[in-house]
This record gives sequence, C-alpha cells and structure tokens, in this order.
Amino acid sequence: MQERIRNFSIIAHVDHGKSTLADRILQMTKAVSDREMREQFLDSLELERERGITIKASAVRLFYQSKAGETYIFNLIDTPGHVDFGYEVSRALAAVEGVLLVVDASQGVEAQTIANFYLAMEHEHTIIPVINKIDLPGAQPLEVALEVEEVLGIPADECIFASGKTGQGVDEILEAIVARIPAPKGHPEHPLQALIFDSIFDAYQGVIPYVRVMDGSIQPGDRIRIWSTGKVFEVDKVGVFRPGALEPVARLGPGEVGWITAAIREIGDAQVGDTITLAQNPCDAPYPGFQPAKPVVFAGLYPTDTQDYNRLREALEKLKLNDAALSFEPETSEALGFGFRCGFLGLLHAEIVQERLEREFDLDLISTAPSVIYRVKLTNGEEIEIHNPSELPNPDKIEAIYEPYVKLTVYTPEEYVGSIMQLLQEKRGKMGNMHYVGKRVEMVYEVPFGEILYDFHDRLKSLSRGYASMDYEQAGYQEGELVKVSILVNEEPVDALAFIAHKDKAYGIGREIVDKLAEVIPRQQFAVPIQAAIGGKIIARATVKALRKDVLAKCYGGDITRKKKLLEKQKEGKKRMKAIGKVDVPQEAFLAVLSAGRD
Amino acid sequence: MGGPALQHLYLHVPFCPTICPYCDFHVVRRYGDVVEAYLKRLAQEARGLFEQHPGPLTTLYLGGGTPSFLRSHELEALFRALPWNIEAAEVTLEANPGTLNPERLGLLRELGVNRISLGVQSFQDSVLKTLGRAHGRTGALRAVEMSLEAGFHTSIDLILGLPGQDVEADLAQATALGVEHVSAYTLQVEPGTPFALRGLAPDPDSEAQALALAQEVLGTAGLARYEVSNFARPGRESQHNLAYWRNAFWGGLGPGATGQLAGLEPHIFAVRYTNPPLPRWLQGEEPLLEQVGSLEHLKESLMLGLRLAQGVDLELLEQRSGLEVWPALEPAVRQLSSQGLLVVQQKRIRASDLNTLHPIILQLWDGLERQNPAPLEPRRLPGY
Repeated sequence: MQERIRNFSIIAHVDHGKSTLADRILQMTKAVSDREMREQFLDSLELERERGITIKASAVRLFYQSKAGETYIFNLIDTPGHVDFGYEVSRALAAVEGVLLVVDASQGVEAQTIANFYLAMEHEHTIIPVINKIDLPGAQPLEVALEVEEVLGIPADECIFASGKTGQGVDEILEAIVARIPAPKGHPEHPLQALIFDSIFDAYQGVIPYVRVMDGSIQPGDRIRIWSTGKVFEVDKVGVFRPGALEPVARLGPGEVGWITAAIREIGDAQVGDTITLAQNPCDAPYPGFQPAKPVVFAGLYPTDTQDYNRLREALEKLKLNDAALSFEPETSEALGFGFRCGFLGLLHAEIVQERLEREFDLDLISTAPSVIYRVKLTNGEEIEIHNPSELPNPDKIEAIYEPYVKLTVYTPEEYVGSIMQLLQEKRGKMGNMHYVGKRVEMVYEVPFGEILYDFHDRLKSLSRGYASMDYEQAGYQEGELVKVSILVNEEPVDALAFIAHKDKAYGIGREIVDKLAEVIPRQQFAVPIQAAIGGKIIARATVKALRKDVLAKCYGGDITRKKKLLEKQKEGKKRMKAIGKVDVPQEAFLAVLSAGRD
Repeated sequence: MGGPALQHLYLHVPFCPTICPYCDFHVVRRYGDVVEAYLKRLAQEARGLFEQHPGPLTTLYLGGGTPSFLRSHELEALFRALPWNIEAAEVTLEANPGTLNPERLGLLRELGVNRISLGVQSFQDSVLKTLGRAHGRTGALRAVEMSLEAGFHTSIDLILGLPGQDVEADLAQATALGVEHVSAYTLQVEPGTPFALRGLAPDPDSEAQALALAQEVLGTAGLARYEVSNFARPGRESQHNLAYWRNAFWGGLGPGATGQLAGLEPHIFAVRYTNPPLPRWLQGEEPLLEQVGSLEHLKESLMLGLRLAQGVDLELLEQRSGLEVWPALEPAVRQLSSQGLLVVQQKRIRASDLNTLHPIILQLWDGLERQNPAPLEPRRLPGY
C-alpha cells in the first residue's frame, strides 16, 4: 500500500492560480462531485474565500486511477501563498515528497516562486513545474518555461502546460504525480515519528493535530508523547481527510497523512512543526526543523467594549490553536484599557487575525498600528526589547536603539530598476547585490523592517505596474537614530498612538499623522487639539473643529422613522470608536501612522 | 381602540403647480380627473378613521403638496369629507403665495381654516429663482399681507443660508410684516432631489450661524425659538406640530401620509403607518405598518422632545410608557448636565444648545437600553 501513496503540495507565487488548480485536481479525481464543486474547495475559511488567498495549510486525500490502471492514494497538502506564512509553507513541505511548482503563464517567475522553489529544494523534493493559466490571452507558456529553466535550472521540457480554469493539462499533471514523485519512505515496524503540520480546534474533541506519519504507525488506544512538551495522551481516533470531512480509519501507517484526536486541550501541545511519538517506544529524535513560530510584528488589540476582555482572550486562545504563529500577552493602555499585545508574522497576518476575531467571534476591536521589535541598550548597560513604542524609555536613559533589518529580495523587469532603487533609498535600504537573469533583475537589499512594513509592497507593485515581486527574511539588528513621537489628543498623550521613527523622518510623519487624525476624528461639541511631540517639544499640531450643528432642520410626523434610523446608525458607528477622555476616536485613527510618512 | 382620544389629524394634499427642486415630499402635478378620485377615496378613508376615532379634534393640518392649489369646489368637497368636529381646533392650511386671493381666503375662513402656513422661503427674487419657486418678492409680500388682513394666524416658512441670500434682510422683512410664527429651515438637501445632484450641501458652521442670527433677529421682535427651526410669539406655537414633538398620537389621511395610533397589545405602545403613494393609494392599497414598543417609543420621545426649547418631561414619559425612565436616565442626565449640555429642572430635561442634539440623544438612549434590555420582538398585527 505504501508504494501507492503520493504526498504532494502545490506551491506558487500569490495569485498564480494555485487554489483553482487544486480545485480542478479534486474534481478530476472525483474527490468531489461536480455538484459539490465550489470554487476554492480547499480554502474553507470564509475569509480565505473572500480574499481569494490561502491563509492556512489544509489537506485532502484523493484516489486516482492511473492510466496504467493502478489506484493511488494522493494526499494533497495545500500551502499558504503569502510571504507572511513562510514557516507554515515549510512545515507543509516537510510532510510531502514532491511539489507542483505553479507559475503563471503570463506573469512568469516571481520572487516567491524562487523562494518556494528553494524551500522545496531544501527538502530534496521532486519538483514538477506547471505553467498555469495557459488559457489566458496574455499567456506565453513557452517563454515562461524557458525562464523556469534559466532561473531555476529545471529543464524546460519537464514543464507541464495547464489551466486550472479549463482543466487542460490536469490529467498530465496527475500522471506526472504518479510517475515522478516517489512513494514515501518509512517503516511500519519502526517507532512512531509523526510530524504535526497543522491543527484545528473542535469544541468537543479538543485540539486535532494534522500529522504526517514519517515512521511507524498510530492507532486508537496508543499512548502518544508530544516531543517538545513531553506530555502523554491516549489516542481516541485517527483518520484521514476526505473533501469536506474528517473520516476515521483504523490506523495511520508510514507515509500517510491524517489527523488524531486524543483529548488534547492545550494549544501548546500541538504546535505546528512538533513531533508525536509513542510514550512506550519513542523514536530516537524528533523530526528536524521544529521552531516555535516567531512573530516579528506587534500590535495591540483592544475590545471597544471593555466588558469583552475575557471573550477576546478566549477567542485569541482558540485562534492560536491553528495559528501557531500568533502570540499574545495582556497589555494595559491608558487610552484603550485592557487588551493584548499580539505578535504576528506580518501585516497581512495581523489583518487576518483581527478580521477572524471580529467575524468568527463577533467582537468589536480596536487595533493599534503594528510595530516591529526594537532593542534598546540602556545607559546602565541593561538591554531590553521594546514591543510597544510607548514603552520606549526617556532618551537620557538610552545608550543606543537597534532596529530589525530584513534581507529583501526584489525581482523585477529591468526597466523598473531605477525607480525601485529610489524607493529603497527612501526606505533607508542598503544595497547588497544585484544580478541580471535574462531581462529580469534580482536586487538584494538590507532594509529596516519597520520601513517596509506598511505600504512598501503596494508601492513596489504600483511603480512597476505589478511586475516586480518581493520576498524577505529577517536579517538581524542594526543601530539606528530613532526617536519616539508621542501624540496628544485634547492635551492628553495617547499611548496607543505613539510611534518610533528615524529622527530625520519624525517631523514629516508627525505632521502627516496629526493632519490625518484631525481628518478622521469626528467633530465633537468642542474643539479638539491634536499634537505630535518629541519629548516635551511639540513638533506639529492640528485642530478638530467643534461641531456646531448636527440636528436636521425638519422633523415632523413622517420623518420619525427615518430620523431614528439615522441616529441608530450613528450609534452603531460610535460602537466602533473608543472614548479617550471626552473624545470619540475611531479605529482609523489608530492606524493613521500606517498611511503617514510614505512619500 | 385603547389609548386617549385622537386629537390630531394630518391630511395630505399631494398636488402642486410646480415641483420644487429641494422637495422630497410626496407631490404630483394634477392630471385628468385625479383630484376627483382623490377626494372620493379621501372621504372613504376619513369615514373609516372617524368610526374608530371620533374626536373631537384639537388640531387639523392640511399639508402638501399645495392644498391651496385646489379649486374652490374641491376645497369645499374636501372639508365635507371630514366628519370630525373642528370648531375648537387649530386648523392650518399650507399655502403658496401665488394661490391666495381675498375671495379664496374668505372661503377658507368659512370652511374653518384659522391658520395659514405660507411657503414664502425668501423675500428676495434671486433666491426664489434659485429655489425654483413660482412667486417673486411682490407676490410673497402680498400673500402675507392678505392672510394677516383676513385675520388668519399666519406663519411663514423661510429658508436660511442659500448661496447669495441676505438672511438678515429676509428675517427683518418677516418681523416688519408682523407674522406671529416663522419656520426657518436651513437647507436640507435630501438624496435624490435636484439640489442633491447639484452638490448643494450646507456646511454645519454656516447653518449654526444662520440659526443664531434668526434667533437674534426674531427674538428681538418677540418670536421665541421654541423648536430647532420654529419661532413664535408666545401662545402662537403650532399646536399641531407640538403634538409630533411631544410624540402624541395623530391620524394621517391621504396618500403618503403618516399617522401614529395607540397599539392594540400591551407590548406594542404605538403603531405608525404610512399610506402608499397616490396611484396605489387610489387603488386602496394598505398602509405600511410599523409597530413601536414602549422602549422604542421612549427613545423617539427623547429624540423628538429634545428639539423643543422646553425639552422633555420625563415624569410624563414614565406615566405614558409605564417604564422606569428616571432611574435609567439619571446617570446620563447628571453627566450631561455637569458637562453643561443639558439643563435639568426636577424631571424635565432640555438641551442647552438646540443645534447639537445627537450626542445627547445617543447617550440617553444608551441609558435606556442598558436598563431595559432586549425589547420584545414586535409581531405583525392583523389589518389595522
């Protein structure tokens, strides 16, 4: 049976049509009937569907009858397609033997194509290049195949031309999976070694880890041990993934992909990347490469209604179950009350977490502007980490501030190199190297992470008409001339609005933020001054004028219903605001820093 | 039918000679024998309401549209269609300056009308032209004089703060003529009207300025601001409109008219209904019903009552709704009063500034909703 298993993932640059191709494979292996077929079958989160991107890895088992007449088990593990989710991609890849590397036939190779390719290479995986979307008018499949050969070193004749949309070429892909991807190794008699590549939470069953059995086997009744925590659980059920359902089976053998229930209650006991083995007969070592996910961006999340604090904590705990990268700890803000400082993989991750909290848990939240982690050397020799700009000590206590840098790789057609260099200079980037691959250029820079956090990707896309793409990895800390800018609303400093900026940029950003705040804070019954300050020195100010009239001129019998609805709507709007002193401040205000200092 | 006797009646006359570009009321031009059909259906509707609510009425308001635009025999038929006793009532008729003459005024007098509300808008030709009105300065002046001479309590509508308007001159003209009631409206641009399409959105600062000016000029002439947009010599306030702002019950007749009657079941305090527009109303289509629970009624009472200079009597609301109003509102009332936004006298509250009511209303609503959570889901009643 083991030699009839094929485990594979699909990797691609975002928007290259990965999910559509996965859907088509599901349909052509009859895993889902045409009737059940809905677009992006694997993307089950409501949010994923809406945004058209895959956020979470997800798995499915398919049966495929090859042209030679043999039946194979395919385990398809879908991977996130965004640069924020690199660790999840790497764990998903650990669970398979081969990948379909999908490249858009009109866009060609992009930065994430390359990054994902190298990830797959590290795992020594078989790579099947698929040139996708060949049905589109702008498709240049042959050129792209040659580019794949030139840039990635995969012979062009290994490329399969396909369209997830029309289904063209998909049968060839299925045959290639059988022919080119090796069956999983591993021995049924060896001690159990199973890799957790994802997990979900179920109200009745607790944490359900998704595993790939590397060695040995697992069945109900087994006593298992979680490697990193050492905790022991008794397996209740094991099973596999069928489209839309978790299907119990008698056992999971080597090479198989499935799930386990074992009354696991704590999130920490099923972290992505961890290893499960048997309590009595453990394996020698865990599957290598486990690392607790490291958040790199921090933001405060606060309930708009202070009474929701406990609900927010419960919601975060549940989310963390299948989002190993999310971290959070309680935090108190003078302005916002009790909330949590949350760590994220990136801005998109932060946005998604907030949206999921609001949608799936029905919470109204205020989030503060995301910030990177600064390291500060104090005059007394002590070194501290700053997760929240408002925690930055007074300048006289600071010896030096260090900011995180990333190694940024931009991949672009050559005509945009000039303007991209200019953008990177503005972002305080230091050029590493640059080389030409055909008519494309790979530019490598060291850039302060905080500088590319907000709008860098958008600006890169817009100045290159969508052609340039990027990828980055953390690259240590460097000293910077940084200052804390405080924001005062109605003469009171608002800790949640403080930010850290390079001293040459602080004035400009401060100016823009107070202007932006004056724009988004609704007029109240009194004038509200908004100020930006460095230390005790005011560097910018603006005023929200007092609202002198809000009533409608006419309100007679026939207007009551409409007028009341109008007010009810205002009331709903107010719920999304936070009262700071006497001033109602809307969510946008806390994100004002995102849109400031950008040109 | 429970509740106190119906004292107030609104009657909608939808016909207009021209359609003003800022108007979002239900209006039509007259065509064919539509007025005849209208009068027939109106008589029917009036009889039905009268059987349930025999009055007598303390106020009757004929609004439009332009009721004065009806021909004399039509006006006679209209009053014949109303079975209520209106002898002691304030009977107001909305009129456009161009539609009045001494003869017509005499007839109105005979029919029982004792108050005329004139849609003057301005005494300046250029402003009237912008507004697309049929009359000019001369017509406006003449109409006011005629109405006063004929012995009607006379109110005029003025618009405030149109581009190019000399607001002070219009206000001074009104006081010079000796009218005893002025409705001074800042331009309210309703979505979908031609004004909205032209982007004529007023700015709150200049609106507040214009209202302050009106308060000063009219106040000096003895017309006090008794509601956000209404000014009157003491004792000459519109009794009919006061009924709306006090959230009383009233009947509504005619196409597009709204009425509010007492609810039939304990948890439904009131039922508000809106008649369909003219063509469907003529075909006898039922009105749209909205059931108002006690909590909602309270919220509306605050929203409306705070528009009045005299404010809202919370004790009265308690008696009417049977809900605990004061304990629910007290914390918010104390806070608003400490901020100088509300003036409290025993259980009566009033806003210190009639121009900015929304934050006050919302805070009071909050108090009510906290104290009286989860209002009963209103159920649909069989035909009302």
